[in-house]
Amino acid sequence: MAYVATRGGEKAIEQAERLFRQDLGTIDAQRVETIRATMPYLIDRVMGEASLYDEELAALALAQTGGELSEAVLVLRAWRTTQPRLAIARPVKQDEVLTQRRISAAFKDIPGGQILGPTLDYSHRVLATDVLEGKPFAPPAVDKAASSAPAKQPSLADWQRQQGLVAPANPSAVSPEDIPDLTREPLLFPASRAHRLQSLARAETGGVLALGYAAMRGYGNAHPTVNELRLGEANVVVRHPRGTEFSAGRVRVSQAEVTSKEKGGYLELGFAATFGWNEVKVIAAATLDLNSDDAPVGSPVHEEFYLYHTESVEASGFCIHFKLPHYVTFQSILDAMRDAKVKRAAAEAAGEVYLGEPEEEPVL
Amino acid sequence: MSLASLTKDWAATSYGFLDASAKRELRRKMLKAIAVPGCQMPYASREVPMARGWGTGGLQVTLTLVNSASVVKVIDQGADDGVNAASIRRFISRVSGASETWDTLDATIVQSRHRIPEEIMREDQVLVLQVPNPEPLRGVEPNISIARQMHADADYGKLWLTLYEQIVRKGRIMQGASYPAMVNGRHVMTPSPIPRWDVPKLNMAQHLTFLSAGREKRLHAVPPYTRVEPLVFSDRPYQVEDHADLTCRRSGVRGFFMNELPQDGGGSVFEVSDSNLGIKAIDKTEGSAIEIGETWYRNGEYSA
Amino acid sequence: MSLDLGLPALERAAPRLMRTEPLLNMRDISKSYGNVRALRHVDAAVYPGEVMGIVGESGSGKSTLLRMMNLEDTPDSGDYTLRLPGRENENLFDLTRYERRMLCARNIGIVYQNPHLGLLMKHSSSGNVAERLLIAGERSFEVLRDKAREALDASEFPLDRMDARPIELSGGMQQRVQLAKAIALEPALLLLDEPTTGLDVSVQALVLDTLKRLQRDRRITMVLVSHDLGVIRTMADRVMVMRHGEVVEQGLADQVFQDPQHPYTQQLVHAKL
Repeated sequence: MAYVATRGGEKAIEQAERLFRQDLGTIDAQRVETIRATMPYLIDRVMGEASLYDEELAALALAQTGGELSEAVLVLRAWRTTQPRLAIARPVKQDEVLTQRRISAAFKDIPGGQILGPTLDYSHRVLATDVLEGKPFAPPAVDKAASSAPAKQPSLADWQRQQGLVAPANPSAVSPEDIPDLTREPLLFPASRAHRLQSLARAETGGVLALGYAAMRGYGNAHPTVNELRLGEANVVVRHPRGTEFSAGRVRVSQAEVTSKEKGGYLELGFAATFGWNEVKVIAAATLDLNSDDAPVGSPVHEEFYLYHTESVEASGFCIHFKLPHYVTFQSILDAMRDAKVKRAAAEAAGEVYLGEPEEEPVL
Repeated sequence: MSLASLTKDWAATSYGFLDASAKRELRRKMLKAIAVPGCQMPYASREVPMARGWGTGGLQVTLTLVNSASVVKVIDQGADDGVNAASIRRFISRVSGASETWDTLDATIVQSRHRIPEEIMREDQVLVLQVPNPEPLRGVEPNISIARQMHADADYGKLWLTLYEQIVRKGRIMQGASYPAMVNGRHVMTPSPIPRWDVPKLNMAQHLTFLSAGREKRLHAVPPYTRVEPLVFSDRPYQVEDHADLTCRRSGVRGFFMNELPQDGGGSVFEVSDSNLGIKAIDKTEGSAIEIGETWYRNGEYSA
Repeated sequence: MSLDLGLPALERAAPRLMRTEPLLNMRDISKSYGNVRALRHVDAAVYPGEVMGIVGESGSGKSTLLRMMNLEDTPDSGDYTLRLPGRENENLFDLTRYERRMLCARNIGIVYQNPHLGLLMKHSSSGNVAERLLIAGERSFEVLRDKAREALDASEFPLDRMDARPIELSGGMQQRVQLAKAIALEPALLLLDEPTTGLDVSVQALVLDTLKRLQRDRRITMVLVSHDLGVIRTMADRVMVMRHGEVVEQGLADQVFQDPQHPYTQQLVHAKL
């Protein structure tokens, strides 16, 4: 029997896992709370990719995986999928979002105003090394605005629709239960728009950025203008069995709308939204959405390509599976190769000439 | 009647890990897969507590089939205690209460990566193969929507052409494992990356086989007594790996698929890939009353 | 039986027209793409053994019509029959995609102007021919080799290059591979969509020679689409003139060229002469 068929196999894997966990040390509620409280943007990213909005569980997943992001997302997704679907929330409308940040690059000023909110955009990216010298960094206080901005902001696209710049919204009459749910159905192509946007919402941030960047840089046909970027909190409004609607809590959300050029007399819009505050992801995702309809099949900005390849759990899992033994397949390849060599030698001895072969591997 | 009598106690997860809605979807897709042999059925493929590509497709099928009376064997590369096989088997028994076995003859469900056991499987057994890439046309058509249309049209000309090209360029078909096969005369499937040695075992087999790809969210099936024919030219016979004359250095069995172990001084020795067959052969030599079942290959020749 | 090419087309064609049923019969074909009416009530009949030329400028509908003959597209209305054994009265547009594909593989060959449409550039030339045979169910490697060799030879393709990849070949050679693929199964109908357009004039003449020889030796029924009246005149027994999706004139080639009736045809012919 080969090396795996020694009885040490099961013991070895158990000890390897122990080693990993020992390096991380004891995980307690305090550690989880510290991660939750100090890394909100990391928590947001993980919640978005896991498509599970629970800061505490996200922090726990980060704690128990030591911050291995793809592992953290996997444990959250595996937990999520076992949970029943109790209710379907009312769709979140842009003008109902409690908006903390909302900007547009399309106009200097917009109805409701540009609201910068919390951002590092205009900061100098200087590492605060003083902290390590024993001088804690205490952020200076924020000056209160003379008048506070309204909690809710209108949708810029609505204004553009009124002006005839953007095509009228054409919502499909689908009852909430019939909205396709990617977590319960396979992704098929061409994908429904619901599936496309859901898939982007839970896609891996780095992957979406890479392919969205490819689309922006010239592999797509759109140079996006950020029509509206919004960070805020949305009420999760569900219906009680007795019929009353109530808010079950609030979730942080990011939304981006990007536009590029005219199509059929209107500005085209690409859209993306996700749980948590993750600006780079929604801008990149909205650009992919914008590019989709005209993208050539097989190109990196075609939906089959970018949706498949930004799926965090599938991509990371397949990548690490190559660590598994493959010696049966390897043996099979070796056998064909040795036999081909023998045949070739025999043919050459008989004076036959084989063709120069093309560089490609045999494809099947 | 009380609420307690109508409900079950709270549990962290459902029986067999997957919840009822996931199992119901999977059962429907598995039945469809049996109804159209070799045709890939898309399914939701829920996340399971294991990385994609590590047998999550096989695991979901097994978790849907399993019950507390099941006896489960899990192998990777033919071995029962390959690290991942051990991990999967432990998980299945933990969430289902099924018993574990290494013996093919005792198993009701065999989940496997890359091998089919050498002992002939029976009508009362189910084989679940883990599949990395369910699409035999991927090499000639990477776009899934187009490939699906090609299956619908039985449009396999390009696939055949690749085999033709290999003979022209290299003198033989170079496909190693995952040798494409026509199922029931209609759909070409990948048998998963089993060696060519194992493909004939699927033809008119007594047992039901599921092939499930969790990452790619597709499953297909070979029902019992269904034709499975590797794509070959009539004048270029199907060639299994040249292992008929190899002998296992540990168990002494001969004429089965082997693992090659390179040696320091050059050259190789061989060990039987179906590790429990080797263990049983050793036990038998040492006088245990152990049963070795009928094998698909006898004296290195396929004979079932 | 081979025909003397020296006979005028009229004498060659006329007896057949009177005596036989058409091989290909299309009736009242109409097709729109969006607002564009690509074909309007087109009738077409092609007789066994003849070369039917279709002329017209780009956008006239001639290539659309050829694609319909190859069942690559279906019209909005109209019938299409081919006199194949057992299928005489079948409207081919009613067949399923699968049936259409199998029928085409076995009975219809096509040569496109753009070899990328007709060939797999990175497979061997012989393999390109073999693929057609594979689709039709041939499973013997040696038979595939022999038949591919024979078809390439008949297309006057140099056999020492039979396993070269089309991407390594000249345009004229690529058209010969397409031709070999098209005739490998001895089709009832050979469709040629601007087969020599874009080739050097000398190469064009050689390819046309090969087509003529094939037509003479094998009596293959051909439909030749071209915007080039010279090509049509060299090859065709009968001619259909198309404009804006309609057939404006048809008749024996010599008749149409010598005594065009429709003003558009007159314009075409005189512009050429």
